[in-house]
Amino acid sequence: MYVLGLDVGSASSKVVILDGDKNIVSSSVFQVGTGSSGPSRALDEALGKINLTLDDMKKIVATGYGRYAFEKADKQISEISCHAKGIFHLVPTARTIIDIGGQDAKAIRLDNNGMVSQFFMNDKCAAGTGRFLEVMSRVLEIDITQMAEYDSRATEVVNVSSTCTVFAESEVISHLSNNVPKENIIAGIHASVASKACGLAYRTGLEDDIVMGGGVAQNAGVVRAISRELRRPVIVAPNPQITGALGAALFAYDEANKH
Amino acid sequence: MSKIDTILSQLDAISKNPRKAMEDFKAKTGKGAVGILPIYAPEEIVYATGYLPIGIWGATKKQILKATTNLPAFACSIMQSIMELELNGTYDDLAAVIISSPCDTLKCFGQKWKGKSPVIQFAHSQNRDMEASNVYMVGEYKCIKEKLENILGVTITDDAINAAIDVYNENRAVMRLFSDVAAMYPQVITPVKRHAVIKARQFMDKAEHTKMVRELICELMQQPVVPFKGKKVVLTGIQAEPDELLNIFEEFGIAVVADDLAQESRQFRTDVPAGNDPLYRLAKQWQNVTACALAIDRDKPRGKFIVDLVKEHGADAVIVCMMKFCDPEEYDYPILLEDFEKANVKNLKIEIDQQSESLEQIRTRVQSFVEMM
Repeated sequence: MYVLGLDVGSASSKVVILDGDKNIVSSSVFQVGTGSSGPSRALDEALGKINLTLDDMKKIVATGYGRYAFEKADKQISEISCHAKGIFHLVPTARTIIDIGGQDAKAIRLDNNGMVSQFFMNDKCAAGTGRFLEVMSRVLEIDITQMAEYDSRATEVVNVSSTCTVFAESEVISHLSNNVPKENIIAGIHASVASKACGLAYRTGLEDDIVMGGGVAQNAGVVRAISRELRRPVIVAPNPQITGALGAALFAYDEANKH
Repeated sequence: MSKIDTILSQLDAISKNPRKAMEDFKAKTGKGAVGILPIYAPEEIVYATGYLPIGIWGATKKQILKATTNLPAFACSIMQSIMELELNGTYDDLAAVIISSPCDTLKCFGQKWKGKSPVIQFAHSQNRDMEASNVYMVGEYKCIKEKLENILGVTITDDAINAAIDVYNENRAVMRLFSDVAAMYPQVITPVKRHAVIKARQFMDKAEHTKMVRELICELMQQPVVPFKGKKVVLTGIQAEPDELLNIFEEFGIAVVADDLAQESRQFRTDVPAGNDPLYRLAKQWQNVTACALAIDRDKPRGKFIVDLVKEHGADAVIVCMMKFCDPEEYDYPILLEDFEKANVKNLKIEIDQQSESLEQIRTRVQSFVEMM
């Protein structure tokens, strides 16, 4: 038996396929999200790796911003529930989750059984999200995957606004024109993202373990900045970009085994 | 169409077209309307003139173009849309406009009024629990009465205000009953329909509204009570609009069993106290206001009040409808959150923005919340 979880985000599409023993047998990530070819390409790749088709999937659960756009899903479940389920499966000691995706950030509190007991999401604003980092990487002419490395060489954290992406962008341009090292600017950008995420996380009560998921968790600079702000260790979920899709696949597994 | 559907559809039509409601009133009585801005105002004084007190609470999905020249970007969306509408001349047919001053934006609104209607601005007392508050409020209301007499060319007698208070108190009692009865029939009175019934009272002669709602209640009570399989919530905040938001509640099986919304139950939670001097009675009503972000209350009872609403109505949770950029509500929220957590009441905060076209993030929050419950 196979089940599939599809996470159609705003910036990327992720697929996880589980077998009857809840093992991940295939996964894929495409860096384009809802309304694009991303979901179908991610599906084709994940299924192609193990020579299966959608018909071989006993249940399919979709999550993410574009969860209602995929008609073949048996069920749509919110990304809050899916990230919680996916991360708790990977890190059973998780009690606080910080998830930063392409266009939103979430802080989730879990109970001892991994059930969501409270959650907070960012307001309608790109500041503190993956999109914020994308905008900044373009201005700095540095690939987004290199930002963590630059951050590790910073000698100082410069101040970058966390209230508005456009204003923050102009601040970054101003720092560049003043010859502030890119390393220090990037550390400031990461601190700005961290301040937004931590603002949400503080509201949950911050019970350990604190675990990060979502694409931005791949950026060690942001993780360090969050850990510094919270004064707590932050665990990064294995393969953090697919935790939502994994949660969706686990819900699909539960659906498939309903009696 | 059943009697219930007919009444609901009539009230819905009125709630969606206040201009027509005003024109119908004019055609029937020969008198016009006086606009009442949020949150609390002595509408009874207006009612005593024979004019129609008509609520001004902004408009959903109104594109804001000119309002920002007169208001800061961080004024709430209700005030942004009111400003836009007044600049477009929408309120120019009103005989007068009454503005209270409970928040920073409203405090400055009288001097910024760009419509042609004359403005009557007043301020509520801050220290409400003293007798001096009543003396002060009587002074404010006397001033409103005199200004209305001058603007409308009428004489407002004490008997007329007392009679208006009776009409309003009757409406308040019927609305409290409606809220309780609606909670028994969530399959019939969906969140959108509940809102329409309550909102329509802002644009109608209260006596007429009372009659229609009473009839609706009688019809509802004849229906069998069917167990509700969804989740029951209490709403709090300034307002819960647009309808698309309330439809999301319905989509995920949420029923509104009570509310603490400024636009809804806070308007009819208590009756104006008995007495002979009508202005003193109205002044005492300001002391009745409790658990409201716009009325100072040193004991901060709002959280407990909402928790009690949840218990009384067997609700599963509270949804905080946070009006974007509403300072008083934002300041209350951390206190509410603490009270909800202490009482183990599940809660969700969503952002209300009258100008917002996209509700996808709210859909995600509501769906997650239902899954969490």
